Amino acid sequence: MKRLALAAALAAGGLTGIALPATGAAEVRVLACEPEWAALAEEIGAGNVTVHSATHGRQDPHHIRARPSLIAQVRRADLLFCSGADLEVGWLPVLMQRGARMEVQPGQAGNLMAADHVELLGRPEVVDRSLGDIHPSGNPHVHLDPENVALLASELARRLERIDSANAVAYRERLASFLDRWNDAMARWRERASRLRGMQVVVHHKAWAYLIRWAGLERVAALERISGIPPTVADLKNVLERASGAHVKAIIRAPHEPTDASSWLAERTGIPVVELPYTVGGQREAHDLFALFEVTFALLEEANDRP
Amino acid sequence: MRIINQSATFTLVAAALLAIVIPAHGQSTGSSAASDLATEIEALRNEYEARLKALESQLSALKVESRAAEEQAATPAQRAKPAPDNVFNPAISAVLNGMFTNYSREDSAIPGFQTGHESERAAEGLSLGHSEITLSSNIDDKFQGGLTLGLGVHPGEPAELEIEEAYIRTLPGLGLPDGMRLQAGRALWTFGYLNELHAHGDDFSDRPLPYRVFLDNAFNDDGIEFSAVLPSELYSEIGGGLFRGDDIPFGGSERSPGAWSAFARLGGDIGSNSAWRVGGDLLGGRAHGRGGGDGHAHGHEEDEAHDDDAAHEEDEHHEDDEAFAHMDDDHEEHEEHGHHDDHAEFFSDGMFSGDSRLFGVDFRYTLAPTGNARERELILQGEYFLRKERGTYAIEEEHQECTTVPEDDGFHTECEVHTDERAETLDGTSSGWYLQGVYKFAPRLRVGARYSRLASPRDAGLDHDPSALALMFDWSNSEFSRVRLQYNRESLGDGEHDDQIMLQYIMSLGAHAAHTF
Repeated sequence: MKRLALAAALAAGGLTGIALPATGAAEVRVLACEPEWAALAEEIGAGNVTVHSATHGRQDPHHIRARPSLIAQVRRADLLFCSGADLEVGWLPVLMQRGARMEVQPGQAGNLMAADHVELLGRPEVVDRSLGDIHPSGNPHVHLDPENVALLASELARRLERIDSANAVAYRERLASFLDRWNDAMARWRERASRLRGMQVVVHHKAWAYLIRWAGLERVAALERISGIPPTVADLKNVLERASGAHVKAIIRAPHEPTDASSWLAERTGIPVVELPYTVGGQREAHDLFALFEVTFALLEEANDRP
Repeated sequence: MRIINQSATFTLVAAALLAIVIPAHGQSTGSSAASDLATEIEALRNEYEARLKALESQLSALKVESRAAEEQAATPAQRAKPAPDNVFNPAISAVLNGMFTNYSREDSAIPGFQTGHESERAAEGLSLGHSEITLSSNIDDKFQGGLTLGLGVHPGEPAELEIEEAYIRTLPGLGLPDGMRLQAGRALWTFGYLNELHAHGDDFSDRPLPYRVFLDNAFNDDGIEFSAVLPSELYSEIGGGLFRGDDIPFGGSERSPGAWSAFARLGGDIGSNSAWRVGGDLLGGRAHGRGGGDGHAHGHEEDEAHDDDAAHEEDEHHEDDEAFAHMDDDHEEHEEHGHHDDHAEFFSDGMFSGDSRLFGVDFRYTLAPTGNARERELILQGEYFLRKERGTYAIEEEHQECTTVPEDDGFHTECEVHTDERAETLDGTSSGWYLQGVYKFAPRLRVGARYSRLASPRDAGLDHDPSALALMFDWSNSEFSRVRLQYNRESLGDGEHDDQIMLQYIMSLGAHAAHTF
């Protein structure tokens, strides 16, 4: 039996050997928790990094299984790029523990949490489980504020320079090019946002706080009274009352959010449900960070222009 | 704001100290030096005063600014708070578990197998199930630790406190090569799929048959385990451990370490919404007088009474003429079991001494059609165990010799109890498997089915293989609360079914460990 154990270990080793890819150049391996950060890593690192996203655009980043493939990804990652602020608390700690990669542990250059580098909104006054899936340090959905994306682009470039100093110049150049294009785009979006100012919306989850603030929208109500817990009929009636009293233009929903509650409200109020991409890949047209905001603004404008 | 305040205070104190210390020092030197010092001090004073003024104006400016900021958005929690004393407390969680059960049979013994204390079916009726308290925390930058206390509650008995886990683990900060981990102490060790998981996270109310007979639900011996995730594209992990050899399937660790393990795992994704993992495991060691927890194969209720029975036997028989008839019944039952070979009882009631090797393979497959396992998900899972055991099975038998003595008022029966030990060297090779599917069809609702089956040792001479079917339905309001209804149809002995209904709640409070795959 001991021989069998050895054979099993050898077999596993052998399989691993086969599975090992023939990596040529020492590319920086970036594991992004969410597609928006994967897209940003592509922008800043293209050519020098291989980017893998732990989730895709139609997945809810709160609830991901700590799949074996993700353990393998963490094990080999040089840079872990996530939202932080407990968004990934249900799965990332297991991956970090099992992948046991020193380079991406907290405090290392290879551990980049977006929430640590921007100002967080919606820090709860009271932390209690009866309030649902709350994030004690604040709302982690920071990427929907384009200014935050710019801040993170600079931070990402700094990290990549530290991890892969041989290509520091390339990262700096790509950052400069990205920021040029991003600032131009932001100027355009700011103008479009000025026409949306004050637009009233109902959201499903509080995932839109940053977009709402940046674009100057007004959130009348959230379908989820308790974050992460599906709304009850009483909750919905309450939202219905508040929505009826206001001049709500859209019920905003992310692709990964359930459709029942928003459809219920739409049927009773005639307010259109607007599914925004939320992240890169959330809708087919939102194929990169620029397109994400373009599509988002186009959809909001369409809803706002409706009589 | 606090920092500014502190540095202002600090500057003041520093200036005051300087004012005291420097002149004191100066007095011991010459008078010209003294005047030099005096001017120096004067200069210092002026400098500090200027800096203080600057700081004060900065401070007031900040106050205004921050007040404005607070009015704008901030909540009280955003203002800096002094760190409370308990910030470094370990994460604490408690699992509460209650059950209502109904069984159609009294007896839940599994002929041909020993079953331990842990894997007995829950007490019938309303009962508090297995509660747990877990503390866990990073110890420092290099170690992490955890303690899980299990509270076993059997109705009418004092609660049993069991140390389920008390382990330390290495953190990457220790500087072991990437992917490597050491764990020591007592833990739910890596074996198969279910072993390393806490039972409260299971998809069914009870563990499948192979876990019950081969591992007494879970192997959590004292020991040390090493594992390494290899740097491959696919997930692959290998590892092994050394253990004391005290927990079922071993026991009576004469020489420790008396058990060892080895395992290997592979896993990956299929597309973006499904994942798989397969594993192979070995667990070997020696047992010295392993009993299924004092003949637990007879079922919990009977065991409790067992010792008492022995003690009071004489008295009972003294008064009861029917004792004869009763005894004969018992005897006949034993005979019946042993139609072919009279060995089944050795496997279920005997004390085993010898080598035990357990080989296991497991797989798990998950599919979330939308990518969101919280909405809808299908999980398929199965494991196969093969146990090779060779050694002696010893049975202590109580013989009663009774004589009937005529007395004035009828008959008086006198019995004496002798204990004989019978031992046989037998081949206890046996196997078992289960296959289960769980489907989440709505965000909070799941249904599941599981079939498990055992092949009893050939030497037991039983022609019936124990099997069990379980169907479950559960509702989870959040990831912290679950209510489950389960129906079991167990066919453990010959031709008899045990229909079981279990209604259970499992709720966890406090910190919640992230889920594994």
